[in-house]
Amino acid sequence: MNAIEVSHLTKNFGQLVALNDVNFSVAEGETFGFLGPNGAGKTTTIRILTGITVPTSGDATIFGRHIVTETISARRQMGIVHETSNIYTDLSSWQNLMFTAALYNVSKAEREKRGQELLELFGLWERKNEKTNGFSKGMKRRLTLAMGLINNPRLVFLDEPTSGLDVQSNLIIRDVIRDLNAQGVTVFLTTHNIEEANLTCDRVAIINRGRIAAIDSPEKLKKTIQSVQSVEVALDPVPHRAEEELRGIATVSEVRKLGDKFQLFTEAPPAVIAGVMAYAEQQHTRVISVNTFGPSLEDVFIRLTGIETRHHGVKTVD
Amino acid sequence: MTEQAEWVRQLRVEFVAAWAIAKKDMIIYYLKPNIIVSGMLFPLFMFLAFAVGRPGEPSIMIPGLIAITILFSASSIEPVSIPIERRMKTFDRLISAPVSLHAVVLGESLSGFLYSIAIALVPFIAGIVIFATPVVNPAPLIIGILLTSFCFATMGTLFASYPTESPGDIMSMLNVVRLPLIFISGIFIPVESIPAIAQFVVYFSPLTYGNDLIHAAYSGTTAFNPLVDITMLIVFILLFQCAANRLYKQFND
Ligand SMILES: Nc1ncnc2c1ncn2[C@@H]1O[C@H](COP(=O)(O)OP(=O)(O)O)[C@@H](O)[C@H]1O
Ligand SMILES: [Mg+2]
Repeated sequence: MNAIEVSHLTKNFGQLVALNDVNFSVAEGETFGFLGPNGAGKTTTIRILTGITVPTSGDATIFGRHIVTETISARRQMGIVHETSNIYTDLSSWQNLMFTAALYNVSKAEREKRGQELLELFGLWERKNEKTNGFSKGMKRRLTLAMGLINNPRLVFLDEPTSGLDVQSNLIIRDVIRDLNAQGVTVFLTTHNIEEANLTCDRVAIINRGRIAAIDSPEKLKKTIQSVQSVEVALDPVPHRAEEELRGIATVSEVRKLGDKFQLFTEAPPAVIAGVMAYAEQQHTRVISVNTFGPSLEDVFIRLTGIETRHHGVKTVD
Repeated sequence: MTEQAEWVRQLRVEFVAAWAIAKKDMIIYYLKPNIIVSGMLFPLFMFLAFAVGRPGEPSIMIPGLIAITILFSASSIEPVSIPIERRMKTFDRLISAPVSLHAVVLGESLSGFLYSIAIALVPFIAGIVIFATPVVNPAPLIIGILLTSFCFATMGTLFASYPTESPGDIMSMLNVVRLPLIFISGIFIPVESIPAIAQFVVYFSPLTYGNDLIHAAYSGTTAFNPLVDITMLIVFILLFQCAANRLYKQFND
């Protein structure tokens, strides 16, 4: 039986189509990533799969239980880490955990044992009785994760678990996700970070504007991504036929003029940089700046779907 | 058989969760000296408003004071705590837990209920200590305080279903209802003295029955049979509970 089964899921908010005929399934034990820019529909998907929001049409089941008609029994299988670190800042970490355990019907003995394990795992045990309002963003995030795991769920939903966090918290959280996966727990996570999806997920669905553009392993998706890396150069003076000649450099697939700079798309930025240097020397011009850019989700998306999004700038991966 | 056992098990789970929610609200929102003290000042001010220039019979005044105190204190916790939880997104935790919305509504109401009982003790004790007001019959007093508190706590939870992150929005809606209730519930004007054409509105106010029941404890005379009061309060509680359950579900989208 699949952990998650989603078919023809659509969600409208008034005129806005937040999810448009979404279909996918997640096998038990899999770490599945939902990768997409802000507003893509990631959180909406999680809110539907956790029974907070009702879909406009379509169905979703969690371990075979229909999320709309068997909500409570479906929820017993899951742990949820919401997008915002929604902890009670007037309570201590311990109180927060025990409260969550009570909501999830975890027995007293079990909740205390599990509570200690989780606080130690997330590096919060020493400060367990402290009110959490003084916690850093990373600590709050870690506590939110601990709360999502207090009921030993078979399936965890993580909505942007590491977005905007410090390196230490990031590492802890990624380790935990890997451990969960090793224990056979199914993980559904959302992210707008390609690298995170690549590092943690068995399979990734790329979503934009409520539509899934591709579902595949990160390796396969990366192959598509590689060709949209780019090198940006500024030359002074700019040779007469620069745009045309730069296109002649080996591995360059496309050249775009951005103000006084040129953007060279390639699978192999180092080779292109070498090519640009040689070209400048040959043309007796100076290279003022060189920057390399990773693929942006936007570009991957355009490549996968042919749908032009808001703008065409190439950003670095964060 | 097993189906029924499962049903009973889930009911227990729902109550455990509701109690956890109530306890959390108590710790976070009102087991704080400043909130308790300001809560206790309320009946004092109401008393002054009552008593000044109108030296009434304490046995008439005290039950009315208890009823009004309950109306205001029971319904003032959730309209504050729930919008704050919406803003902090902790409310998502409650509505995504493996319990029904009824458990969430009940838990929220329980905290207002307990708060209100504590505050209602102020006019009750003042009645005994300062005015030596005798309680003729303790049963309607206890039942009256419990049911009225629960009824208005649930009303507070019902109003808090309005999807706002600002407590002020709900408080102002609530006051549009609470203030008129005082005047149509037989506290200042006895039910019998209200003109017949206006009397029907009296029957739509839960405060009428709460006040009547508490009066029974002090003066022994009432406008309705105490069993009618009790039944009507229970009907209002169920009505508010179901309406709240429905509205929270609807507003989640
Ligand atoms: N409750 C809501 N009411 C109206 N629009 C909403 C609501 N929730 C989300 N949306 C809209 O739906 C789209 C998808 O949002 P969301 O799922 O939060 O995106 P993501 O999590 O991928 O950033 C966005 O355009 C967002 O503005
Ligand atoms: Mg989101």
